[in-house]
Amino acid sequence: MTDLLNQPSNSQFKFSREKILAFTLILPSLILVFITYLYPAIFTFVISFAEYDIIRLKIKKFVQFKNFEFLISNYLFTSSVLRTIYFGFLICVCTTILSFLIALLLNEKFIGKAFLRVMIVLPWAVPSVVSGVLWGQMFHADTGFLNALLYQLGVISGYKIWLADPLVALHVIAIAEIWKAIPFMTLFFLSGLQSLPSEVFEAAAVDGANVFQRFSNILFPLMLPIAIPLFLIQFVLAMKSFDTIFVLTRGGPGGGTTTLNYFIYQEAFETFNLGRASAAAYVLLIITLAVVLIPTISRFLIKFFWGNK
Amino acid sequence: MKKNLILKNFFIYFSALIVFFVMFFPLYGLILTSIQPENIIRSRNLSFFPKEVIFTHFAEVLKPNHISNIYEGIRNSLIVSFLTSFLCIILAFPAAYSLARLNLPAKNIILGTLISIYFLPTILFVIPLFVILVSYQLDDTIFSLVVPYTAFTLPFVIWILKSFIDKLPVEVEEAAKIDGCSTLQLLIHIIFPLLRPGLIAAFIFAFILSWVEFLTPLIFTNNLKISTVALGLFRSTIDIKIGQQAAAAIITLIPVTILMIFFQQYITKVVLSGSDK
Repeated sequence: MTDLLNQPSNSQFKFSREKILAFTLILPSLILVFITYLYPAIFTFVISFAEYDIIRLKIKKFVQFKNFEFLISNYLFTSSVLRTIYFGFLICVCTTILSFLIALLLNEKFIGKAFLRVMIVLPWAVPSVVSGVLWGQMFHADTGFLNALLYQLGVISGYKIWLADPLVALHVIAIAEIWKAIPFMTLFFLSGLQSLPSEVFEAAAVDGANVFQRFSNILFPLMLPIAIPLFLIQFVLAMKSFDTIFVLTRGGPGGGTTTLNYFIYQEAFETFNLGRASAAAYVLLIITLAVVLIPTISRFLIKFFWGNK
Repeated sequence: MKKNLILKNFFIYFSALIVFFVMFFPLYGLILTSIQPENIIRSRNLSFFPKEVIFTHFAEVLKPNHISNIYEGIRNSLIVSFLTSFLCIILAFPAAYSLARLNLPAKNIILGTLISIYFLPTILFVIPLFVILVSYQLDDTIFSLVVPYTAFTLPFVIWILKSFIDKLPVEVEEAAKIDGCSTLQLLIHIIFPLLRPGLIAAFIFAFILSWVEFLTPLIFTNNLKISTVALGLFRSTIDIKIGQQAAAAIITLIPVTILMIFFQQYITKVVLSGSDK
């Protein structure tokens, strides 16, 4: 009788001991992550409603929604929000399409494939500062390769100052970001392609489906579950980009390349307006969450309303 | 059919060539700039094949009395990157094991939270960290770089190690447990050696991320003495000598590139093991 009573409690004890062990093993990591993320996130949230004294390092006074009101009425802020969304969208569309095409190429058999793969992965290892320097030199007005190339080909009659035009400068930064983002996504697409069953394609080829039919009816739907998360991740990462902008244009000319992330940096560490910077950081966070959550929510809704049919 | 195959091959090699040129040309341009005299770089009849190769830009940059001292930068970056990778592994290894094998409640939520942190805007955390570091006078120290780097890299490293542990055969651990091996012994004597490829991959991953980090040192350090390579390179962009700038960029690039080429196998393995889960 005592045995019977003891047994469940004994196993429960063992069970909880494993839980304690599991927690002890992960605890140091969690503590570090919480100190460096959660506490700052709360801190930023609090001072987004306050004026912060940067010299005495304490909150001067709470101003309620003043920081947010200031931001919304500020043209520089609203334009940088729109620019950030355009910038992020441009980068992730281009990166996704190009990476997918390169992955399709790398999925074929040809001589020099291993070499090409190393060459494609290389930009990922390039520190973003180096990539900033590199593209800065590429588009340099006096010494840039692009000017030299186009001039020698006779496309342009004189050397152009690329980075002086806000719109061109923004796209130059986008090119730099895309070039750096391609490797990582290509590797993911490639691993996705290699995990596809080849029998399906062979069967389709036997059935007489042409290349485009095979692409749109088999490959595209099969790759979509891999492509959507990659697309979203790239969107979020593109909105975070800072280094290239800092090195190439510092947000200029005329604020033409100031994305929201850069705007926050300027508010926080150039004009030292930490309250406003924190408010803007939360706006960026909300946009980021929206980008990540909208597809998830819509998928959930689709499943909810149409899934059972 | 045969004609079709030739056409297909032609198409493949043609596009491979285009991809190669587009991806490699920017780097080629950088190399070209670093090995040509300043007057040729600046002249308008620029050639894409160097007629005269010189290494004076590298020599200038590597001089100990150069404006932005590259040795200091490399030393600091090495210290910071090694410490970060080391700390990451020590923290992530037990955490990853706990997530992969032990009966940890809310496992998926913990892992999901850790990974999703990476996608939040970094600047959100940097502002208060800056305030904290300044108020404890910890800015401008190695510490102010290593701790944030470790925290930024840790979620990824945990994820890498977890996917490697997932692939290890459970039988080995079960056999060890039957033989009376405690979890700690199991971790140190059995999992650790088995996990060597994963640990190397994770170490390199953390190393590369710390080596290229730019925003954190930019904000947390002002002192030139603890400037990292990336920051030093940026400071050299103020200098107008384009050839030297390119040379400095290549010197910054070399360690990461060597790591990438040598360990591309490992990194591909990580990416593969992550996505087909």
